Amino acid sequence: MLIYALIPLLPLLAALVLGLFGARLEAYGHKLVVPAVTAAFLLSVALFAEVAANGAVHIHLYRLLEVGRLQIDAGLYIDELTVLLLLLVTGVSAVVQVYAARYMIGDARHSRFFALTALFTGAMTVLVMSSNLLLTFMFWEVMGLCSYLLVSHYGERDNAARAATRVFLVNAVADVGLFCGVILAYMTFGTLSIPEILTQVQSGPGIPAQTATALTLCLFIGAMGKSAQVPAHAWLPLAMEAPTPVSALIHAATMVNAGPFLLVRLSPLIILSDVGMAIIAGVGATTALFGAVVSLTQTDIKRTLAYSTISQLGFMVFLCGVGAFAAAIFHLVAHGCFKAFLFLSTGNALAATHRRFDTPRPPQAAPGSLFLWALVLSLVPPLVVFSGAYRSLWLAQGFSSASVALWVVGLGTVFFTAVYLYRGFSTVFHHDVTGTVPGQRVRPSPASAGLVLGLAGVTAILIAALLVTWQWFASFLAPALATASLSSDAQQPAGMDAGPSSSMWLLWPLLTGLLGIAAAYTQARRAAPGSEPAWRKRLYVFFLNKGYFNELYDSLIVRPTLNSARWLWKAIDRDIVDRLVLSLGAGSVAGARRLGRIDMAVDRQLAGVGSGSVVLARWLGRTVDTGGISRTVDSVGRGADVSGHAAERMEPRTLQHHLLVVVLWLVAALIFFYLVAG
Amino acid sequence: MSTFFSDHLLSIMIAVPFLGIVGLAFVQSRWWILSTTLAVTLVSLALAVLLWLGFDTSEQGMQFVERAQWMPTFGIEYAVGVDGVSLLMVLLTSMLPPLCVLASWESITSRLKAFMMLILLVEGAMLVVFTALDAFLFFMLWEVTMIPMYFMIVLWGGPNRVAAGLKYVIYSLAGSLLLLVGILGLSLQADTFNIALLAEHEYSAASQRWIFLALFLGFAIKLPMLPFHTWLPDAHSEAPTAGSVLLAGVLLKMGGYGLIRFCLPIFPEVATTYMPFLLWLSVAGILYGGYMALAQSDLKRLVAYSSVSHMGFVTLGIFSLNNEGIQGAILQMMTHGLTTGAMFLIVGQLYDRTHSREIADYGGLYKRMPRFVALLSLFAVASFGLPATSNFIGEFLILVGVSSRHFVFVVLAMGGIVLGAAYMLWMLQRVALGTARTEAARQLTDLGSRELLTLAPLVIAVLGVGLYPGPLLEVMHASVTHVVAQFAAVLPAP
Repeated sequence: MLIYALIPLLPLLAALVLGLFGARLEAYGHKLVVPAVTAAFLLSVALFAEVAANGAVHIHLYRLLEVGRLQIDAGLYIDELTVLLLLLVTGVSAVVQVYAARYMIGDARHSRFFALTALFTGAMTVLVMSSNLLLTFMFWEVMGLCSYLLVSHYGERDNAARAATRVFLVNAVADVGLFCGVILAYMTFGTLSIPEILTQVQSGPGIPAQTATALTLCLFIGAMGKSAQVPAHAWLPLAMEAPTPVSALIHAATMVNAGPFLLVRLSPLIILSDVGMAIIAGVGATTALFGAVVSLTQTDIKRTLAYSTISQLGFMVFLCGVGAFAAAIFHLVAHGCFKAFLFLSTGNALAATHRRFDTPRPPQAAPGSLFLWALVLSLVPPLVVFSGAYRSLWLAQGFSSASVALWVVGLGTVFFTAVYLYRGFSTVFHHDVTGTVPGQRVRPSPASAGLVLGLAGVTAILIAALLVTWQWFASFLAPALATASLSSDAQQPAGMDAGPSSSMWLLWPLLTGLLGIAAAYTQARRAAPGSEPAWRKRLYVFFLNKGYFNELYDSLIVRPTLNSARWLWKAIDRDIVDRLVLSLGAGSVAGARRLGRIDMAVDRQLAGVGSGSVVLARWLGRTVDTGGISRTVDSVGRGADVSGHAAERMEPRTLQHHLLVVVLWLVAALIFFYLVAG
Repeated sequence: MSTFFSDHLLSIMIAVPFLGIVGLAFVQSRWWILSTTLAVTLVSLALAVLLWLGFDTSEQGMQFVERAQWMPTFGIEYAVGVDGVSLLMVLLTSMLPPLCVLASWESITSRLKAFMMLILLVEGAMLVVFTALDAFLFFMLWEVTMIPMYFMIVLWGGPNRVAAGLKYVIYSLAGSLLLLVGILGLSLQADTFNIALLAEHEYSAASQRWIFLALFLGFAIKLPMLPFHTWLPDAHSEAPTAGSVLLAGVLLKMGGYGLIRFCLPIFPEVATTYMPFLLWLSVAGILYGGYMALAQSDLKRLVAYSSVSHMGFVTLGIFSLNNEGIQGAILQMMTHGLTTGAMFLIVGQLYDRTHSREIADYGGLYKRMPRFVALLSLFAVASFGLPATSNFIGEFLILVGVSSRHFVFVVLAMGGIVLGAAYMLWMLQRVALGTARTEAARQLTDLGSRELLTLAPLVIAVLGVGLYPGPLLEVMHASVTHVVAQFAAVLPAP
């Protein structure tokens, strides 16, 4: 069993080795990281088989800390939820690393990049495997650090520098929520072990609704940060400053998936709080729609993708909020696969032209193969999730109001997803670039193109498989989820038959998606813009500026904080407290002036001691007159002389120093007195 | 191991720095002065590690105790011994001086021998402070630590060294006066200077509050707690690198140590009465220090104000008055010594190159000094308690401890962590990232092997404690449980 501890350890060790000896391994970092992550992936597959056969596995590693009642064990808890995410994390990460091995050729910070991506992957695997909330939180923040360091990869650009700081700070604020949640969980349950908390929740005496709500909200604040929920979403587009493979990693494998994972991991707990669930659903729905609309207005393809991720994450969180946990994880896995593909293929196109794309121009060429993939991929995951989610909800019953919301949010998201993906991709992959880089066609490098297509194929197969096996997926995941009623229903065919067949529910989203594509197509064909009514323009500008969230942060939080800090420092620390102390000092100096005679006496004393020690040293030198030692002792004498006069040579020579000398002598006299008395 | 050596291990450890001072007098050339001091500090460190290895963690009382009559008329003894709390402080005290010597290898150009002697004097004095079992011995060496620090600031410091030194002395003298009053107040009633006996004595109800207050203020000024903190930024920023490291790394901890050694065991009822007020004050310190750090444009001042914030965490943990809180506070003192010591060392290495502490004079170091930036980033994030680094464990324990008092403290203290992230990352952004803003910043060279060697032990310690704090917590568990036991009767169980 302990061998599975290698899943996080291998990438972490690779990161460590690269971090220490990166300078010597320059440009060969990937030769270490790719095998490590691939091995982790293979181990994950083995672990998957293990868990599928025998259920959850618990591996104890070591006692992290123990203070009385508080005992924290670093351990791994692997259940059905964990293995699915492990497969996604290590699999996507391995592909991204292989891709990056080519993408990063010639980069000055090659080994730094691979060390950090390995650390990133390792941290995410610890996060999903952790058996303890504290360990989860620790690596939750380590991922934040990784994202910070990777966003600052091109740190000499001011934009990247600013973005990195902001990415980390948004996460840090949200992480405080999670940290509060961890401590609150300890207060409530007396333990931070995840399996123990889950058993306590499910079979224990039960916890008060208020506590459950507080806990849920704290945990959710943490999830909002990592998973870029409105209003903590602004960091995700900023993180685009990182090299493109990092975006694939952040959006598909690590980081953003942590939020839904946490909610699902602790689903038995959060489902106890109705208020909490309502808030989660509300925030998720807002994010899903907001992200989708904003991504429509963005002209930078990478930013479009960022907002599309925000929107999809919102959808996942929304699904958690209405209790469709299995569907949320399903969407997470599917989204991870298709987003990785989108980023890697975009990265190819961007690398080929060495610039970013502006997309408002109408599409020009006929659809190619990648374009088709994009279309298919944009529609399939939401479709699958939609049907799955609705089925889950329908089966769970009692979510009737939520299911209306699900319709609205779900169809809305599908519609906008279809629109922006059509627009983005029709431009990126079929864009005439003769104007910018003469004679160069946008064409992925052959090997990478093969890789991307391979990934696309795997993705498609995976999705098809999942589509077919949704039933299997839900029942596989059921033991790890809160809604026990769901799994029991899923095992009763009679309960399923009571609802409309899933193919019916597949039809609606499909139609909506096609409608979206049609709308985008006609929009693109339409004549020059400018004829729209004013309110539409204003709306457009609002969303184009991403809802002005960055500006709001600046004017409401960042600038007031900095200004007030500066003011406080000047007004209180320097003008009040310091002045008080210094006037105290001045007062004692005045007192010392009155004692001027003592001052002079001390001066004489000091000189006396100085010359006395010189005399003593000379005498010593004469007595022990043996070459080297005599020279040494002479220098001691000189040293004593020097230090004896040190106080006098201090600049500027002021009364304060004499005061000091008095004080020091008083202390010395005191000591002397006591010594004699003893 | 001979019995003499093992019986007197503690005294030998204490004597080594003082003997080193004498030995230094006979050494001439620059290289010999430096390497002798380095050897002495390393021997001292080795002895401290031996002490750790020989320490029995199940024992709650003092170990390695040595007693000798000193001034029998007053009942004053030379008495030293270590319990878990002392041992950790001793380890910290003996770990930093070798690094200080390495940091001063090239940067101290004048009066090198005197400087090295002062380093050893501070180390020796602090070792006694942390191991003294006699209140008078404690106070005397407490005073002794002040003098070498003053000279370090005034003779080797930055442009405002005289004012900074004066301020440091005014505060320190005020603090030690109060401390002296407190200790005399104790011993006049109990008729002994033995700390263990002082704790057992029943003091008259009227005097308890006043003695507690005197001792508390004495320690609070050294620590420093919120209203008494303004000496710290000046002293830290004007002192030479080694001075700042010793000040921030070890000297401040004498305050926290004193609170745990004197205030809590001797006056549990008074401490309980004042607890809510002191917790509020600590939280205020955390937030205020972080806020001030945000306003700084000087690297060393920024780190100094971050110390104020971190010391707020220490008092927050101590006055939680429970096992988690106090162990967290002690761990936080240790790890603050490591990370802030490291911050001063690394900022000092930058200062050695350009002689500027202004954040605005840098920028874009990422390109010229990748190793420097990597280490600076590590210590910066460790400093605000990023998980998997040492400070996180301390902060977590403190927050768990204080959560049993009131959850509002947890929430407010977390604000301090966010502020910490803000000022550290903003500093990093302006120093390390972006483009170089001065010609000097464009000419910089990366860290050399001596500089890397100076920082390497701290990197290992910061990550090691962060991922495996068990051994350190084990050392102090029995002793802290002993301190906390008497609060169990007074306070409701957490």
